[in-house]
Amino acid sequence: MKCTRMKFTAPWKRAGRRQLMAAEADVLGELRRLRTRIPQLRGALTASVDGLVLAQDATDIEAEGVCALTAAALGVALRLSEATHQGGFRELLIRGEQGYVATYTAGSSAVLTLLAEPRVNVGRLHLEGRRSSVLIGELVDASTGRTEDA
Amino acid sequence: MANTETALKEASTSIEGVIGAALVDYTSGMALGTLGGSKDLDLSVAAAGNTDVVRAKLRTMEMLGLKDEIEDILISLGSQYHLIRLIKGRNNNGLFLYVALDKGRANLAMARHQLKRIEASLEV
Repeated sequence: MKCTRMKFTAPWKRAGRRQLMAAEADVLGELRRLRTRIPQLRGALTASVDGLVLAQDATDIEAEGVCALTAAALGVALRLSEATHQGGFRELLIRGEQGYVATYTAGSSAVLTLLAEPRVNVGRLHLEGRRSSVLIGELVDASTGRTEDA
Repeated sequence: MANTETALKEASTSIEGVIGAALVDYTSGMALGTLGGSKDLDLSVAAAGNTDVVRAKLRTMEMLGLKDEIEDILISLGSQYHLIRLIKGRNNNGLFLYVALDKGRANLAMARHQLKRIEASLEV
């Protein structure tokens, strides 16, 4: 899928990814806190909008694959949201028979993806997911900002 | 028979001291409808949080081996009453009515009575 039509941009370049990783510890800390706040989470991942893993706290899940799929789903969701004049993309919730996948925008260049058991409290998942995605967005954007300055 | 909107409206007019009311699906933790609320009382937060309250009580009853059902839950704060009333009936499983009341203005017995009446007439 072509990502050129997406509103998101990935401002960092390859050389800057090392600085981006500096935020990884903070992001990972937030993912861990999120999993303690919602015990029904099977996994929490932060990916760049182009599908690269930035941080993950998940077991039994292939993070690279999930992040790549997240980027693909995000592309479709963005276009659908734009085509139906619903404004910018905010979040995506997928309900499967065995659980949920929720994706939230985190700042201008990252997304937060949560995997939850079917008995999760979706209201709480949204509340905590939205709150965390704002924080993670700030962490990632701050670190990419630093990269540009360097 | 009342739908979600009319039931919530009925709750806010017939019960004295209502600050906010919501009809909540406790299988998902999301509100089917809300009325009132404010910056101090975010009803989507209340819906998610009180879903945990209801689920915890149901789990506790299960662990105690109580083969019974919850009729309502009263939480009394310093300045507010919070009433949770589970919806019964064949097609209305997994829902509860949530009402937050101003303790100074509310009549608890009347509020419970009215809420019971509204619950009985609710058709989702």
